[in-house]
Amino acid sequence: MRNMGKRFDQMPLDSTPFVTPPPLAESTVALITSAGLHRRDDRPFRFADQGYRVIPSDIDPADLVQTQVSVNFDRTHYQRDVNVVLPIDRLRELADAGEIGAVSVYHYSVLGSNPNPALMKDAAADLAQRLHDSGVHCAMLTPV
Amino acid sequence: MPFPLGRPLGVADNPDFQRDVLRSALELLESATEPTIVDYPHEAPEGEGVWACAIELPTPEVSELEASLRREIDLLMPRYEEARRRRGRTTLGMSGAKPEEIDAVVSFAIAVAEGSGFEEIPKSASGPEWIHPMPMLVRFVVEDLRAFYQESVASDNGAAPPSQHDMHAWIFEQTALGRLIKQIAQLISDDHDPRLLFVRGLLIPEGFWEGGPTFGGPPPGEDPREFLIRSRRYLRGQEA
Repeated sequence: MRNMGKRFDQMPLDSTPFVTPPPLAESTVALITSAGLHRRDDRPFRFADQGYRVIPSDIDPADLVQTQVSVNFDRTHYQRDVNVVLPIDRLRELADAGEIGAVSVYHYSVLGSNPNPALMKDAAADLAQRLHDSGVHCAMLTPV
Repeated sequence: MPFPLGRPLGVADNPDFQRDVLRSALELLESATEPTIVDYPHEAPEGEGVWACAIELPTPEVSELEASLRREIDLLMPRYEEARRRRGRTTLGMSGAKPEEIDAVVSFAIAVAEGSGFEEIPKSASGPEWIHPMPMLVRFVVEDLRAFYQESVASDNGAAPPSQHDMHAWIFEQTALGRLIKQIAQLISDDHDPRLLFVRGLLIPEGFWEGGPTFGGPPPGEDPREFLIRSRRYLRGQEA
């Protein structure tokens, strides 16, 4: 991940927007993973897919499938425990302990193995609006 | 996070560690006053010793690929079913096939490895509701078989899961499945359609293709961006 992160040094940003969220104990938190996960009856991710999929927070992990196209990442831990990619149980525990305000009703997934992520700009804006409209304060990104 | 790609929370079946990763990230929201990057300071705990497959598979016969593959699947099936029962889930199903349709998955993979081509779904693989177009369906059929193998041999609750490299090394060096994947990859190499080389790169992990890098590239003289656009249409089933 560190090596991949170095690529972003070559993608200068024009500005550094920053928003101070409410205290964590009052914040609703969503997960966004680039693991290519989705419900089994949802549309699979296509090669270089630029969209996102919606995952209900109460989903049974048995109803998730991963159509991430890349072969160059570790699947062995995910095959044992979905939380290593999408920490839905851990987030729920933090909410139960009062460390975060609430868990978002929905989480989201995109395709991480994408040769041109700049083309995902429209989907990203749409997803950000959806998060805002549903009262989510923070999104935790889990890269794959 | 200093973890292998594919494991953003570090390690399976370790709620304390996962919770600490999650908490460390979220707490930045309360301390940061500007966009901030902080390295997580702990490596993920790994299992002790060197992983080795607990079940011995027969040496695959070069001339009997289908028989060897089906024999391996028969041997692994009890472990796969036990792992699935214990975890209440399986990651198999990426092609659209259900776990109980694995015979059709095998028939599909064998037909492609024996030269049925990359345009039409093999007639011998009827039954499942395949959810990808050709040729990308080949990639997900193979991934379903790989998931079956990995879940079968990495299911021991008492030990940490093996690394992905251990899994790849085992599959490509010791199983009929690895030989089948390489046989499909060789057919792709012989096909001479540069768009199809994307599929080879999605079948064979980097470092496991003896011919060098697994992905190809645009033909001489073609703009890489144009090549990517037409390859994307082809791989999404929008162009022959």
